Amino acid sequence: MALRTAVLRHLRVPVTGSNQSQIGFLGSIRAFSSHDDHLSKQEVVDRVLDVVKCFPKVDPAKVTPDVHFQKDLGLDSLDTVEIVMAIEEEFKLEIPDKEADKIDSCPLAIEYVFNHPMSS
Amino acid sequence: MSGVSTAAYFARRAAQKERVRILYRRALKDTLNWAVHRHIFYRDACDLREKFNANQDVEDVDRIDKLIAHGEAEYDKWRHPDPYIVPWAPGGSKFCRNPTPPAEIEILYNYGHEDNP
Repeated sequence: MALRTAVLRHLRVPVTGSNQSQIGFLGSIRAFSSHDDHLSKQEVVDRVLDVVKCFPKVDPAKVTPDVHFQKDLGLDSLDTVEIVMAIEEEFKLEIPDKEADKIDSCPLAIEYVFNHPMSS
Repeated sequence: MSGVSTAAYFARRAAQKERVRILYRRALKDTLNWAVHRHIFYRDACDLREKFNANQDVEDVDRIDKLIAHGEAEYDKWRHPDPYIVPWAPGGSKFCRNPTPPAEIEILYNYGHEDNP
């Protein structure tokens, strides 16, 4: 018995991977993770539209999920920047400058927020 | 300037517009960093917007370049030393806190029984 423990202390027995095929997919789900809220598309749409409607230079009646900020709502490019910042604050995101420059319309914003893994 | 609208002129104007937008975005975030309370932030944001709007009709490309360079120098001067960064982003407090473990690792739950097979 003592010989066995002494031998095992110096040997390294390889771990058998027989159970790994079962948890291949489940490996992406962690139990008790603090990051467990992924928003539904309808919720994202509702919140983005609320943010856009609360903007003082926007007429709330014209806001639909597929408006373009500059063409349909008549906003300036600086107003677009302000709206993107408001969306960032609403969903607690950090959008890089290059990506934020490309967000020009509601459908783009909704798609970006929905596909971002850390939006909450 | 000769006023000829070539593709190079439009490309330069588009690049300048993008610089202005990115500068406005960073300046607005900086204003929020300095003025934490919303009522102060709204006042400062309005002032910033006025500063940008005062120059929005300039047509001379070189003058626009100088104005943008001046704006970026002002932004560099006023940058906050401890900006608010979203926790999971690089520079935030939660960044790399709980990285996902590699998939090849398997944990054997045999504490106390390692000597038994």
